[in-house]
Amino acid sequence: MRVLVTGATAPFGAALVRALVEEPAVERVLGCAVGARGAELPDDDDRFGYHPIDLVRARAVHDLLWGPVRDAGVDAIVHAAQHRDPAARGRRVHALNVEATRQLLLACERHPTIRHVVVRSSADVYAVRASEPNLLDEDAPLDLDPAAPQWRRDRVEADLTACARLGTTPVRVTVLRCAELLAPGTGSQLWDYLRSRVCLRPLGFDPMLNVLSMADAVEAFRRALTRGAQGVFNVPGADTLPLSRVIARWGRLDVPVPGPLLAPLYRLRARGLGLTFRYDLNLSRFHFGGVLDGRRAAEILGYRPTHPIAWPVPRR
Amino acid sequence: MATPATFHDEGHGFDLFGLSPAAVARAVALGAPAYERYFRVASEGSAQVPRAGAAILVANHSGTLPVDGAMLWQDVVRHTGRVPRMIADRFIPRLPFVSTWFARVGVVSGTRGNVRRLLEQGELLAIFPEGVTGVGKSWRDRYRLQAWRVGHAELAIRHRAPVIPVAIVGAEESWPVALRIDGVRLFGAPYLPIPATPLPLPVRYHLRYGAPIALHDAFAPDDADDPAALAAAAAQVRAAVEALIAETRTARRGLWR
Repeated sequence: MRVLVTGATAPFGAALVRALVEEPAVERVLGCAVGARGAELPDDDDRFGYHPIDLVRARAVHDLLWGPVRDAGVDAIVHAAQHRDPAARGRRVHALNVEATRQLLLACERHPTIRHVVVRSSADVYAVRASEPNLLDEDAPLDLDPAAPQWRRDRVEADLTACARLGTTPVRVTVLRCAELLAPGTGSQLWDYLRSRVCLRPLGFDPMLNVLSMADAVEAFRRALTRGAQGVFNVPGADTLPLSRVIARWGRLDVPVPGPLLAPLYRLRARGLGLTFRYDLNLSRFHFGGVLDGRRAAEILGYRPTHPIAWPVPRR
Repeated sequence: MATPATFHDEGHGFDLFGLSPAAVARAVALGAPAYERYFRVASEGSAQVPRAGAAILVANHSGTLPVDGAMLWQDVVRHTGRVPRMIADRFIPRLPFVSTWFARVGVVSGTRGNVRRLLEQGELLAIFPEGVTGVGKSWRDRYRLQAWRVGHAELAIRHRAPVIPVAIVGAEESWPVALRIDGVRLFGAPYLPIPATPLPLPVRYHLRYGAPIALHDAFAPDDADDPAALAAAAAQVRAAVEALIAETRTARRGLWR
């Protein structure tokens, strides 16, 4: 198998590239991302090659797909490129988050060698409501609220764009809806939330959250590639715990505050400190949780989360 | 208390729904005075509750706030060691504090996805088919089963789980609703109940468990989608609960004893 990974310089893309380079079933890995590579990626050799391209530029994408990608005989793409900062807004952001996904899927359908596209989606696409089940399976409703921030709307649209092509094209499509990757640089809202010494949470609510480690996320993609299974899969992590425990295990001070005060307080924090945590993006899950049901991935991909987060504070 | 047999620890002492054995132990201790001294719960037939595997307890419901649910929960935990997953109305997750505390002791909001998952896990469910209408019963309606929903029958047939009818006698006299204010919908609750007394009266509770009803023997799995079959199955459970209530009421020697 030969694989192209988009978003290869971001922490997740880089971790996936490093894992695939070690994978015996994978003969060659190509990585692409905007701009120059860093030390996070292996050096170019016969196993790995890096191509700096902007996925928003259709010509550049075409030249990559019908150039190095075809020449290497790449048969699978992992599309993981995405804007990570919720403050990023506008047409160019949408162009990467959604249009690049669409164009990539369309291009792959007439590509001579690519047969499988794995799209990285996230648990953020689900509508978390009091009236929904605590466990979200792949059939749970998506958040189609037009008033939702672009960050979420883009994710839902990209996810649906990929889902719409399931089974209708010669290319196999796999959509992996990952639980929150609790790691730096991944755009994790929770990670940013936990950067403050004091973490405020809605008074009277302590929802169950599920978080994913990098090792498990990589493992889920590795399995999706090697099994080649088509479909939508939830990818939960090995840790399911209440928000208050997340805060405690991170060594932060857990301060419950009446819910309506949280949005203005966190807006001030975002403005004052330039941090990316937005309460409006997290409001519903900070009340009602929403844990991914990973049984489909367990059954079809053979994926079971086995790598818990390395919590800074040991369990009491 | 020992960790319940069906408890699936997700790595931090909580299951996927937020149940924590430590919180269950605390709730048993906290509820002991109400269970032992105030309502002096008399329990009969708890041996009917299966000690393992999926099963559904079905009981009558009453009393402004679900005190009867709390006593049934205590009783099942004490006598069987299993933590019954009480199925609550879907507005419950919106209640501050209550939602968290309920989740820790195994109460689950009654969405299809939740109950299906619990039965597949082999859990013991407790369902009040009268729902919130039952909690809002007035004194005049005591022990008259209100609108009897059929969800429990559907689940029992689909998941091949036995139904254990339960009569809760005492609760219906303990805290009847004097007035329902239908316009007020706090946190999505369907109405605001004004009870007849500020606190529940210390009426003695009698819990009686009936013999398991094997709806899955009488009905084929496909019947779970057949409205007529469901109505018949639910009526059978309803009749069993009514008979148990009648039996228990005749057997007791007064409200307080």
